[in-house]
Amino acid sequence: MDCGTCDSGPAIVINAPQVVQVELTMTQKATEMLEDAFGDDRSHALLVGVLSGGCSGYMYDLQIVENTDIDCQEIEINGFRVLVPNASSHLLNGIEIDYVDRLMGGGFKINNPNASSSCGCGESFS
Amino acid sequence: MGLFQLDSYVLLLSGNDCLTFVDGLSTNKVTGTCTTVFTDQNARIIDMVDVITVGQNIALVGHAGYKDILLSHLISKILQQDVTLRDITPNNKVYLSTEQWTEREGMTVVQTFRGWLIVASHAFPLESTMTLEEFNDYRIENMIPHQGYEITPNVHPFNCGLEHLVHEAKGCYIGQEILTRMRSRGRQGKELVRLPNPVVGATTIGANHSLAIVRKKGD
Repeated sequence: MDCGTCDSGPAIVINAPQVVQVELTMTQKATEMLEDAFGDDRSHALLVGVLSGGCSGYMYDLQIVENTDIDCQEIEINGFRVLVPNASSHLLNGIEIDYVDRLMGGGFKINNPNASSSCGCGESFS
Repeated sequence: MGLFQLDSYVLLLSGNDCLTFVDGLSTNKVTGTCTTVFTDQNARIIDMVDVITVGQNIALVGHAGYKDILLSHLISKILQQDVTLRDITPNNKVYLSTEQWTEREGMTVVQTFRGWLIVASHAFPLESTMTLEEFNDYRIENMIPHQGYEITPNVHPFNCGLEHLVHEAKGCYIGQEILTRMRSRGRQGKELVRLPNPVVGATTIGANHSLAIVRKKGD
């Protein structure tokens, strides 16, 4: 196979979606859960991203991070630093971060007005 | 039998996330070289691809006629993941050998359910030894579906003989809920069959037998 000297070959141009200045909200329950998770330490941030995959094509990716190499916009909300990757900002503008307190299927949930459909578990959307 | 040149594209994916990226969007468990199927939200086929590991990269070999729609599907899913796509189709020719093929300079050979897939650099071209009719007879004899004939955007993997490429235990991917439901209920709609001629609605017509996609008995 000739892979065009691989790394030096021309990459397919990907028309990156326009970066959107994200606005998001967080419910009281989600705020309380983050307070439990972070304690008094505000050096970390909540990274809210989107990865490919899941039943509907995109999956939410929530992480608590100190720093990231990902190109992100930082939003302060309810005293917490929230990082949103610019690459997925068009999919995350207007979301509400919620927390569902259930034994099964509980945890952080994203209510996303941009999603036309979601899978049953709520982790994936399109 | 012999060697047949396929009308294929070759995409090279590089980056730390390239394997998980393909795994998360296709029906088979992709941890290295394998064959898998990209499906849409209705579990209909976008394309079947052979995944070939090339050092730290992976190559996707699929049907040329489905390249644009697959590229469009993949490109929209690359967000913050470390994945770079390159189209190396112009550098290579793709062949299928019905017999074991020994790898030589300038070529990559992998065994697939269809036969030995050979991706050869343009600098080291091979010569087809099979006509399309002979290739089709080989496929009919061995119940091997092919893109543009049985493998089309109108069918699910179960309908066209690709059930073995739908992993039974892997996690979510686009179309997974539908395929899992079909499998668990034992209702897969249509299936690929080989019938003696004449066959009404055949997808591949051979000298004595043909392939067709017909409604499964009991469905």
